[in-house]
Amino acid sequence: MNMKKKLSAAEFVVLAEMNTPKGVDISEFVTNARGIKGRMDAVVIPDMDNGVMRMSALGGGALMRREGLEPVIHIYGRDKNRMALQGDILAAYVLGIQNLIVTPAEPMASGDHRDAKPVEDLDETGILEMIRSLCEGVDMAGFELKGAPDFTVGCAMAPVAGDQELAREVENLRGRVAAGAQYIITPPVFDLAAYEKMIEALRPLEVPLVATVFLLKNVGMARYLSIHEPGCRISEDMIRRIRKAPDREAECIRMAGETTAELRKMVRGVKITTLGWEHRLADILEKAGI
Amino acid sequence: MITAVRKPMEEIIACVSPYDRILLAGCNECVSVCSVGGRKEVSLLSSALQMHFLKQGKTLEIQEVTLERQCDPEYVEELVNSVDSADAVLSMACGCGVQTVAARFREKPVFPAVNTAFMGASERQGVWSERCQGCGDCVLGITGGICPIARCSKRLMNGPCGGSTKGKCEIDTDIDCAWQLIWDRLKALGLENRIEEIMEAKDWRTSRDGGPRKIVREDLAS
Repeated sequence: MNMKKKLSAAEFVVLAEMNTPKGVDISEFVTNARGIKGRMDAVVIPDMDNGVMRMSALGGGALMRREGLEPVIHIYGRDKNRMALQGDILAAYVLGIQNLIVTPAEPMASGDHRDAKPVEDLDETGILEMIRSLCEGVDMAGFELKGAPDFTVGCAMAPVAGDQELAREVENLRGRVAAGAQYIITPPVFDLAAYEKMIEALRPLEVPLVATVFLLKNVGMARYLSIHEPGCRISEDMIRRIRKAPDREAECIRMAGETTAELRKMVRGVKITTLGWEHRLADILEKAGI
Repeated sequence: MITAVRKPMEEIIACVSPYDRILLAGCNECVSVCSVGGRKEVSLLSSALQMHFLKQGKTLEIQEVTLERQCDPEYVEELVNSVDSADAVLSMACGCGVQTVAARFREKPVFPAVNTAFMGASERQGVWSERCQGCGDCVLGITGGICPIARCSKRLMNGPCGGSTKGKCEIDTDIDCAWQLIWDRLKALGLENRIEEIMEAKDWRTSRDGGPRKIVREDLAS
C-alpha cells in the first residue's frame, strides 16, 4: 500500500529522511536506501537541507524510485522561481515522485553558499496553491497542461517555543491546509506531554499529523538543541540519560525507538530524521517494535 | 531619488471610504521632486477626494500636512497634534515615510497613496529612470559608471546577452542595452580591455538578499 492510500486509510505511515550526497557518489545513499527497503513506507528527500548545496531532491527522489522505494521530496521557494518550481514538479511526477512536502527553507545566510541570491518568488501557501492548480491541469499563468499530475502534498510545521507561537502557527497551517496541504509534518518530538498539547491545537485542522522523530546522536547535540531550540523541549533528564549510558550511541537509538513507539499511539505517522545515520534506521524501528 | 507613482483613485477611495476624517500627509523630499507626493499633489488629491465623496453625499474632512521628510521621526513628530483629530492617515510619501508614520502612530490606520517605484534619476522633465538597486557593493567604478544590476534587464554581470540589438534591449526597444552603454563608455575612456575581465559571481549578501539591512554609524548613533 502506498503512502497516499495509507494516509487515507488511516494506517500508520513510517517515513525515513535521507539526504542526497554533496557530489555524484551515490553509493552510500543507495546502500542506505536498500538497507531500509520494505521497512519504510516512503523516503523523504530534503532539498539542500540546512541551506547546504547538495544533489537536488528531484534527483534523489528519482534514484529512490529506481531502487523501488517510494519518494517524498521537499519543495520550497528560496532557490527557484515559479517557472522552475512548476517545471521541476512536472518532471518529478513523470519520474515517479508522487509525494511532495512544501517546507520553509533555511535562510541563505545559514547555509554554505551565503553569497547566493535567494529567489523567494512564492511562499509556502503560494506553492501549495500552485501545486493544486497543476493537479487541476492548469499552470500559474492559466495555461492548460498536457496531462496533469496527481500529488499527495504535505506541509511542514515550524517549531514553536510557547503557546503564543503555537496559536500563530496553527493559523499559518490553517491557511496551508486551505491551500491544499493534505497532512502536516510536525517538528521533532522530545517531550510527549507537550506534544499532546500540540496535537490538540492542531486537531481542528482535520488533517493527519506526521511527527518528526529526531535522532539525538550524542550529549553535545542534545545540549546544543536544548539551548538554541527552546521549542524542542529536551529535558535535563534526557541529556543525563545519554551521558550516563554505558553505550551512548545505543541509548540514543533506544530513545528514538521509544519515542517512535509512543507516537504510534498518538498520530498518523512518523518521519525519522537521522542526519547521516541512515544505517541505524532499521535499529530504531526494531526498538520501536515496527 | 526614490521615485513613486500615485495609486489609482479607486484604490485610494476604497482605503479611506470607511473614515470621516483623514490626515493627508505629503513629503517634501523625493516624492515632491518627482511630483507625486509634495504639497501640490497633496492639495490636488485632497480636492479630488472631497469632490468624490461630496458626490456620494458624504463630507470627508481632510487635514493637509506636508512634512519636510516623512522618513525621519523628528519631522513625523510634527503630526502629533493633527493626528488626534483624524480617523486615519493617508500618506503620499514613499514606503519609508509610510512606515515611519505607522510606527509612530500605532493606534491609527495608515494607508499609502502612492506606489514606491525605484531609485532613479531624472532623464528630462517628467521622465525618471531606474539607476540603482542598492546592492550594497557598488560596481560602477569598473563598469564605466553604468550599473548592470539596475539597468541590464537580466542583471548580467558579464554581458551583453544575445538579445542586444542596435544598442537596445530585447525586453523593450525603448530600453538601452546597459552592456552596450558600458562598452561605449569604456571605449571612450580607453578602457576596452576591462570588458574582457570576467566579473565573478556576485556576493549578494550586501544586497537585500542578506535580509533587511541596517546601517549603524557608531560615531553618530545615540
